[in-house]
Amino acid sequence: MSDVILQAEGLSKSFLSGERTLEVLRGVDLSVEAGQSVSICGESGSGKSTLLHALAGLDAIDEGELLWDGSTDTGAERRGRFLGMVFQSFYLIPELTAFDNILMAARMLGRVGKPERDRAASLLDRVGLVERADHVPAKLSGGERQRVAVARALMNQPRLILADEPTGNLDEHTGEAVIALLLELSQETQTALVLVTHNKGHALKTDRQVLMQEGRLIDSNSGH
Amino acid sequence: MPWSLYLALKQLFPSGKRFPFFTAISVLGVMLGVALLIVSISVMGGFGREIKRMIVDTQGDVQVRARGYLTNPDEVLAVLETAPDVIGVSPFAEGVVMLEHNSKPAFPALQGVDIDRINDVIPLDDYIRTGSLDLLDDDSVILSSRLAYSIGARIGSFVEVYSPLLLEKMKADEVMLPRELEVVGIMEIGHQSLDSSLVLVTIRRMQELYGLGEGVHGFSLKIEEGVDPDMAARRLNTILPDVAPHAFARSWMDSNQDFLFVVQLEKNMIFFLLIFIIVVAAFSVTSSLLIAVVRKTREIGLLGAMGGKPRDVAMCFCWQALIIGMTGTIGGVGLGYFVLHFRNDIIATFTKLTGSEEALVRFYEFSNLPAHLSDQDFWLIVGLAITISTLAGILPAWRAARLQPVEALRSE
Ligand SMILES: Nc1ncnc2c1ncn2[C@@H]1O[C@H](COP(=O)(O)OP(=O)(O)OP(=O)(O)O)[C@@H](O)[C@H]1O
Ligand SMILES: [Mg+2]
Repeated sequence: MSDVILQAEGLSKSFLSGERTLEVLRGVDLSVEAGQSVSICGESGSGKSTLLHALAGLDAIDEGELLWDGSTDTGAERRGRFLGMVFQSFYLIPELTAFDNILMAARMLGRVGKPERDRAASLLDRVGLVERADHVPAKLSGGERQRVAVARALMNQPRLILADEPTGNLDEHTGEAVIALLLELSQETQTALVLVTHNKGHALKTDRQVLMQEGRLIDSNSGH
Repeated sequence: MPWSLYLALKQLFPSGKRFPFFTAISVLGVMLGVALLIVSISVMGGFGREIKRMIVDTQGDVQVRARGYLTNPDEVLAVLETAPDVIGVSPFAEGVVMLEHNSKPAFPALQGVDIDRINDVIPLDDYIRTGSLDLLDDDSVILSSRLAYSIGARIGSFVEVYSPLLLEKMKADEVMLPRELEVVGIMEIGHQSLDSSLVLVTIRRMQELYGLGEGVHGFSLKIEEGVDPDMAARRLNTILPDVAPHAFARSWMDSNQDFLFVVQLEKNMIFFLLIFIIVVAAFSVTSSLLIAVVRKTREIGLLGAMGGKPRDVAMCFCWQALIIGMTGTIGGVGLGYFVLHFRNDIIATFTKLTGSEEALVRFYEFSNLPAHLSDQDFWLIVGLAITISTLAGILPAWRAARLQPVEALRSE
């Protein structure tokens, strides 16, 4: 028996742009189990980022139901504990060192004791950046920054990671490494992963592949 | 420590940056404003206190004056001495005379004082530079320093005194010789107009010069420490009519009301004008924080994605303004006191450079720049500076709180 971590049913979202409404999500169904990884592909502008933001509870949805671990509470208070996010352009806080950026996730929940520091240190070790602990983002390469962002997303031991084109700003080889790291870490910690990507190769590494098309998700049955 | 405070500190003093320019410039603005306020208000307060000291030290806390003069000084003295709160009473007679030394005339105000009593009311001894008050008798005089200098008199010199009465008699063709008085002391109060016009004689000599007989013009009184001179004067006025129907007691504040009002008004105006420096500094804090909000749009979005509430994001900017305000205020107080400490050296250097030393003394009537900051003024400055600069954070905080995380994250 595996439990469902993320459950979305009939998510709809439209934007008003000028005179006309743009229906971006038209009834998206998605369910992700603990430890499962799902990749979402789709054309640019098909609504992948919009969906991810909706799943994160950051953007209000017009219709549909969203459950986090069976609960409808998708507020800010719970978000920091329940999920971690990774973005295309890293979004590290430039004034903080790599270590403090990772610890920031715990800080925002009001927890910065010895266990949190130890965990941040071990995550830094896990993403191979022990030597860079005291470096600010400006002194890190793109790949290193994204590794810090991955570590930060995992800091609070979330049940779910939402990654929006995490390799979009990285070269082929570095991107490869970051995806491997994401998959490995989520596997290890039984964290569910939703990965938006344009890269077919990366998509194939996840447990399940879905396609975003005309505002809906289509299971593109992996077929192996 | 709430994360908003942590982040605020980190944004003002980022890791790995030796000197945070943004912060330094914002802090400097507030600091200069506070320092300027501290210095100006201290100097104004110093003037105010110096003026008060001079008034009290030459008039006493309360003066009883009669219309014309009092013909029964002993009776009035007895009543005043036993009045509540009064700890010293000294009679005086005063008037303008012509004074001459080596054919150099001057027209000072002669003060006739009772040398046995005057020190109970006014610390005259403290102001005698050379000579002594004890040497003052009916045939001698104590001159103020500038007056002595201008007529070229020194200890042991003789000055000739012509009173109006004497001149009257001369007009009536009586042959009258001026009084020859020996200079036995030079005093200095520290205020130019007093130091160039005040002359002390015994009250008996003054009575004789002005033809007062036994009469006096009034009494200077010293009031118990901590008792409001206005209150004391009011109480005296209830008992005075019995002995001296034409006499009236007034506190030093009351008799110098107009003057003190101007001093207070000047101080308030300066305060009002200088506080705008802090307001302007606060505007620059607002603008640099607003720029920070725009610059950090995506990080603000990220904070939302990490579970940060808009209220905490707003707090982060309020903290920054508060920290800038506090640092600036503390720095400003430090700088202000530093300048005050070296104020006389600074002025000396400045006047030496511009050659305006004399003008300073003549214009401001003080030989040293006085400074005094009351606790009340100090806390008012500190409180206002911190409040104003904290208010500077409200607009940026509001902007930051209004940013939708999704919009912020989208703004690539
Ligand atoms: N706030 C908004 N107002 C109006 N239109 C919006 C808004 N946000 C998104 N859209 C529109 O919604 C559509 C989906 O955008 P979204 O960013 O989700 O696409 P995407 O699949 O992530 O594309 P990409 O692969 O390029 O990142 C786009 O056409 C976009 O213009
Ligand atoms: Mg996108």
